Amino acid sequence: MSSLILPGRQRGVRERLAQLHWPLIILLTMIAGVGVITLYSVAEGNWRPWSMRHGLRYLIALSVLIVIGMVAIRHWMALSYPIYFAALLALAATPFIGEVNMGARRWIEFGGMQFQPSEAMKIGLVMALARYYHGLRAEQVSHILYLIPPALMIGAPVGLVFIQPDLGTALLLAATGIIIVFVAGLSWRIGMIGVASAVAAGYSAYRFEFLKTYQVERILTFLNPDRDPLGQGYHLLQSKIALGSGGLDGKGFMNGTQSQLKFLPEMQTDFIFTIFGEEFGFVGAVGLLILYLAVILTGLSIAMSAKSHFARLAVIGVVATFALYVLINTGMVMGLAPVVGVPLPLVSYGGTVMLTIMAGFGLVMSAHVHRDQDVLRSSDLL
Amino acid sequence: MPVINTHDPERQEIVSRRTFLFGGSVSLLFVGVAGRLYQLQIADFDKYKDLAQDNQFNRRVLTPLRGEIIDRFGNALASNRKNFRILLVPEQSRDIDATLDKISKYIPVTDEKRARIIREIRRRGAFTPVEIKNNLSWSDFSRVNFELPHLAGVLPDVGETRDYPLSEASAFVIGYVGPVTDRDLAAQEDNDDRTLLRQPGFKVGRDGLERTYEKELRGQAGKMNVKINAHGRVIEELTDEATPPVQGKTLTLTIDAELQQAAMKELEGESAAAVVMDTVTGDILVLASTPAFNPNDFNIGIDAKIWKELTESPYKPLLNKPLSGVYPPGSTFKVISAIAAQAAGVKPSQTAHCRGKIWYGNRFFHCWKRGGHGTVDMKGAIKHSCDIYFYEIAKKLEVDVLADAARKFGLGQTYELGVPGQKKGIVPDREWKRQYFAGQPENQPWFQGETLSVIIGQGYVTSTPLQLCVMAARIASGRAVRPRLVRAVGDLVLPEPTSPLIDVDHDYLNVVRAGMNAVTNEYGTAARSRLEDPNWQLAGKTGTSQVYRITAEDRAKGLAKPEDLPWERRDHALFVCYMPYENPRYACSVVIEHGIGGARAAGPKAREIMRAVAAKDPASRQPIDPRNLVQRATAKREG
Repeated sequence: MSSLILPGRQRGVRERLAQLHWPLIILLTMIAGVGVITLYSVAEGNWRPWSMRHGLRYLIALSVLIVIGMVAIRHWMALSYPIYFAALLALAATPFIGEVNMGARRWIEFGGMQFQPSEAMKIGLVMALARYYHGLRAEQVSHILYLIPPALMIGAPVGLVFIQPDLGTALLLAATGIIIVFVAGLSWRIGMIGVASAVAAGYSAYRFEFLKTYQVERILTFLNPDRDPLGQGYHLLQSKIALGSGGLDGKGFMNGTQSQLKFLPEMQTDFIFTIFGEEFGFVGAVGLLILYLAVILTGLSIAMSAKSHFARLAVIGVVATFALYVLINTGMVMGLAPVVGVPLPLVSYGGTVMLTIMAGFGLVMSAHVHRDQDVLRSSDLL
Repeated sequence: MPVINTHDPERQEIVSRRTFLFGGSVSLLFVGVAGRLYQLQIADFDKYKDLAQDNQFNRRVLTPLRGEIIDRFGNALASNRKNFRILLVPEQSRDIDATLDKISKYIPVTDEKRARIIREIRRRGAFTPVEIKNNLSWSDFSRVNFELPHLAGVLPDVGETRDYPLSEASAFVIGYVGPVTDRDLAAQEDNDDRTLLRQPGFKVGRDGLERTYEKELRGQAGKMNVKINAHGRVIEELTDEATPPVQGKTLTLTIDAELQQAAMKELEGESAAAVVMDTVTGDILVLASTPAFNPNDFNIGIDAKIWKELTESPYKPLLNKPLSGVYPPGSTFKVISAIAAQAAGVKPSQTAHCRGKIWYGNRFFHCWKRGGHGTVDMKGAIKHSCDIYFYEIAKKLEVDVLADAARKFGLGQTYELGVPGQKKGIVPDREWKRQYFAGQPENQPWFQGETLSVIIGQGYVTSTPLQLCVMAARIASGRAVRPRLVRAVGDLVLPEPTSPLIDVDHDYLNVVRAGMNAVTNEYGTAARSRLEDPNWQLAGKTGTSQVYRITAEDRAKGLAKPEDLPWERRDHALFVCYMPYENPRYACSVVIEHGIGGARAAGPKAREIMRAVAAKDPASRQPIDPRNLVQRATAKREG
């Protein structure tokens, strides 16, 4: 694999460290800090079992981010397809060698560590799509033939994740992919047709029972939370009670009665926003949302200032994944979206997701540090 | 191979536009999320705060005992008894169906009952216990207790349930209690009340005094907060803040339970009503209606079969006949007519000659006695219930004068008894007719021929047995006595009312009284209903109100006697009376639906009821003081 590189200035490590987007790092750290204190509260004032490890994991993930950020963006572009295909292979292998956890095969053992191929795919897909569109001219983007590769690139991992089954991640991957295709310049007309067929597919999936019972349950519960107060809707109702009773300024740190009395399930992961919102109220919750939005807008501004098309699209893909996480999770705990088990990035407890997010922001960082580098490629590379 | 310059300005421009669009959409969605937060945390804060409180603190409501209802001597009419029951806490039972299956091994749970339980759970939420079965026998109850470790979510409980010791006899006075409905819950303004009403098996007054005095009888819930976790496990009992429940107030009635039962027994087998009241105080001693339902059946959830029987019976066992049954007063109304006639200037000595019928307008008006009474004066007309005498008066009598007298003596109005559903009846006059026929101007004027019907208690005029009893009491006392049913609420004894004299010449009344005395004691129409005791001379008036008019055609078919008619076409039998004739104290009215004749059906029943009333005098005049009763109960508790 050979790339033609337009010479940018080669810079030393120290110089590149200085060029890191520190405000972005501070924002991310603040969000992770919210995770640390909330997990401390969830454990009723204990660093164990979650809070301390969350903080440590963040530090590790942050160093991963910085390392990735200091590697030139062209190298990441060169690695796009290999990473994508490796992740796809791992995904395909998961049903055979994966661990069954809560009724789904999602994890595989890898050198003594648990590893979720679907997480790696979140980065892999973003990179591969960015890489693909990097090589297309504007007029090619909406050409139907040139839509086939991205459709396969998105469809294959989405299908594999869906049969695991992990509806939440499958939807997230599909949405991220579609956003990249859209931002890359897909014509509105084709977009509309796509939306229409997605709706049709969703309907037939329901109609012909492609979804597992619990997935159907979750969606139906979302549509009518009162239909099963002891099951799914019960959690949603408890979440709303906890949030709502937080009021303007919250019940105070460690005083979230609803959470502390275990009315909520999975408080350390899916429902952590609820706990934070209960203890810190509207002010705290909106503050956290502002932090998230600041990260997203910072990311988008980085995308806009990057010279290479790959960098732009990859950054937007990462930001889109991040934004979807936040919107789906917060929407979910407030009854705006189905309970699909999507964590709140950097706040929910969970190493793999944190690593994925931070690795993704590593790409964003790389795009920022190397924003003046444009990357040319020979068309035979495709 | 060509090298693509990635500085493709068109491509970059599209990406920039789309990125703005994307960023804008995401920002909007964030605003949406923040809006939702605002809705939950600011706009609906109060609601969720309450819900959170409910979640966190299980307010153990300590259900108060319902206040008792007692008769004038302190006998229980409505009390409470122990009720062994099995509750289900949905939240503690992972699988409600499975739990119910297990339960049904020990106590039968019908499919209908099961559906009802599931409905209740949906309605009340996961945390409120729901009654699976009540009124269990001790052996069933202990068996379930024994199996309790295998029955997750099942909670045995000893509750209290309403008990009506007189069963049918008190049905219409007391009413009954029933399960709480959604409408009851919605009607509660206070949150605590709502919580109380949500208690398993809690009952509220559905009819009668139980309903009217719901607030007083319910009592005050006690409270104990317990802090619970999500699994319903009690973490802490907050006993310092606990308040004990306060039993509802005792309702003391004017009813005499013994007489009430005697009257019910007397009327057994008939579709009938009887009212007895004290002509001085207005105290209602008897308010009987047959047939009646058993309020205890309602209390535990009425059986569909019993309900069907009750609603379909022609004897209308759900109709409170003394208060809600409306009947033409028939000849009992002649006591009013006699007063009105005198008020219009007719002298009691004035006579009329009865030949059995007179022609008026365009038709014959018949006397009930086909052969006629000969010459009668006013007293004789009352004594023999001569229709012709009153027809002659009616020819010249202004109907408004008649209506005025009827109202003065208690007809055409309801009384504050606290029992819902009382009917007003009709006292017709010119104004009434104008309004009644508002849409038909040709029918609006009053025709004198109609006065002929009204004067003998037929035609438009209707009344309830209660009104007829009030009428008798007012004739007897000359005072505007008002009936009352409740003597005391808790230890607040309602003052005995003093009734004003009625604004008529009391000489008129003496004529009527003499007439009524003659009815029973001087071989009048109700000579059979005479009381022999010289201290308790009964003065009465019979009445027979027409339900169906026997036509010439019927007669041609050989249908001459009322017994030949089907039951529902036979005439109503009525009787009003008071005693003793000198210095009256008690008044009574009896209505036997389709009893054919007042003299033979209603009179003897009234006589027997009055005999029982006389036997209890003078004890009846000294009811207990409920204040002493309350003190007694308190002393007992402290001792």
